[in-house]
Amino acid sequence: MNYLKEVWGSRELLFNLTSREVRGKYKRTIFGQLWSLANPLALMLIYTLVFGLLFKSNPLPGDPSGLNVFALWLLCGLLPWTFFSTVVSAGAGSLVDNANLIQKVSFSRIVLPFSTVGSAAYNWAFEMVVLLIAISIAGGFVLPWLPLIIVAMAILAVFAAGVGLLFSIANVYFRDTQYLLTILLQLWIYLTPIIYPVYRVSDASQTIGPFAGTPVTLLGLYELNPMVHFVALFRQLMYDNRWPDPAEWLICICWALATLGVGMLVFRRNEKGLAEAL
Amino acid sequence: MSAIAVDVDHVTKSFRMYHERNQSLKSAIMRGRTSIHEDFLALHDVSFQVPAGSTFGLIGSNGSGKSTLLKCLANIYYPNVGSITHYGKIAAMLEVGSGFHAELSGRENIFLNGSILGMSKKDVTRKLDEIIDFSGVEQFIDQPVKNYSSGMYVRLGFAIAINVDPDILVVDEVLAVGDAEFQEKCFKKFEDFKVAGKTVILVSHSMETVQAMCDHAAWLNHGHLEAVGEAEPTIKAYLGSLRSEA
Repeated sequence: MNYLKEVWGSRELLFNLTSREVRGKYKRTIFGQLWSLANPLALMLIYTLVFGLLFKSNPLPGDPSGLNVFALWLLCGLLPWTFFSTVVSAGAGSLVDNANLIQKVSFSRIVLPFSTVGSAAYNWAFEMVVLLIAISIAGGFVLPWLPLIIVAMAILAVFAAGVGLLFSIANVYFRDTQYLLTILLQLWIYLTPIIYPVYRVSDASQTIGPFAGTPVTLLGLYELNPMVHFVALFRQLMYDNRWPDPAEWLICICWALATLGVGMLVFRRNEKGLAEAL
Repeated sequence: MSAIAVDVDHVTKSFRMYHERNQSLKSAIMRGRTSIHEDFLALHDVSFQVPAGSTFGLIGSNGSGKSTLLKCLANIYYPNVGSITHYGKIAAMLEVGSGFHAELSGRENIFLNGSILGMSKKDVTRKLDEIIDFSGVEQFIDQPVKNYSSGMYVRLGFAIAINVDPDILVVDEVLAVGDAEFQEKCFKKFEDFKVAGKTVILVSHSMETVQAMCDHAAWLNHGHLEAVGEAEPTIKAYLGSLRSEA
């Protein structure tokens, strides 16, 4: 509990470090904050061309929204994913990049990985607003779902923070982590139904059937990936415009709390040794 | 004067000297261990007390463990054995301008750096004028700090750090910054600290500085505490040992 109090006590520092990153990032660029849209837009174009037109990914139309726009469907999964992957990869580097600060000043170190969550969330919120406007123009009735979308964003942020904490510590002891992580995230995006709809996996799972007499199925394994559930949450809220399955909410919340809990525990164990280990 | 500001109680700090450090997963897995190391004792069973309101000098040759002790005092390193107890708010100045963001203006960096050093936004706002005034960079305060000269950079950093207003201030050899006029200002500020009944712990190689400013001192030699007490005799003992070695 004391630790939580200490973390809460540094919220002002957290805010300042976050705004340092937000304000410092696009300084001296002509387009400023608009650059944060450039990356998802570019990805959207590529994926829409390749998986929307060439290899038909064919997601089901939104139910009950009736939306049938591949680019919007894609972005509902892609934006949460890019947020997650940004937090994890920036979080992994956050301690090593600030080694100088850690060795010279005493402060609650956990604000460093947390501030990457803050600055990534800022960009993400900006992107989501643009996406929500686009969905509304396309005819989706998304605004009433806004409060729930914000809740879902908060849950994903908690989950991402937990994963980021774990990788930030791992990266202090093994600098390979950051390179390994790049590969891991590339793999992870394809293990998550972002560019293809999840029914493709359940179809394949049905064809294969249970593995060698066990009750384990491909879909069962697939659903161990927490990001599957997060993406489902966002798609149902934003693209389908319906109340997500309570089970999905529960799974996401459990993953988020467990990951953050473990992350903070591990971080706290290693915090005091950071100045020496770096 | 009987009150104690900092109690250093049987502090031992060792570092691992790595003969082979495997910071890669491959070697850790292949060899089943992450490192081969032996311990190097940087501080060996050091105990002393810093009286409240004193200016306390840490002296000793290079590699004597002064900086390690300072980092332990600043809560950056943690002793393996023993404990350090602070009575009052402590602030450490081991380096000035840590955490400055080059693209942000001097003013923005004051708020950022202040909060890293543990000041609240209210504190910084209240002291903003004083900080800017002390640093002597008012003309450039809204310019990005990357355009600052190294002297301006350090002066701004020092001005923030000195305005944290702690009960105990821990200072590394950062005094040798800025021009003579700025150094004069810094000494003046330390004097004010003393008058206000605050404790300053200072590490320096310059015996004149220590002699001029400190009333108490501790002499470290290869991690052992050789002498502690009034500044005069401690400094004499230290200088004496240097002479006899030479």
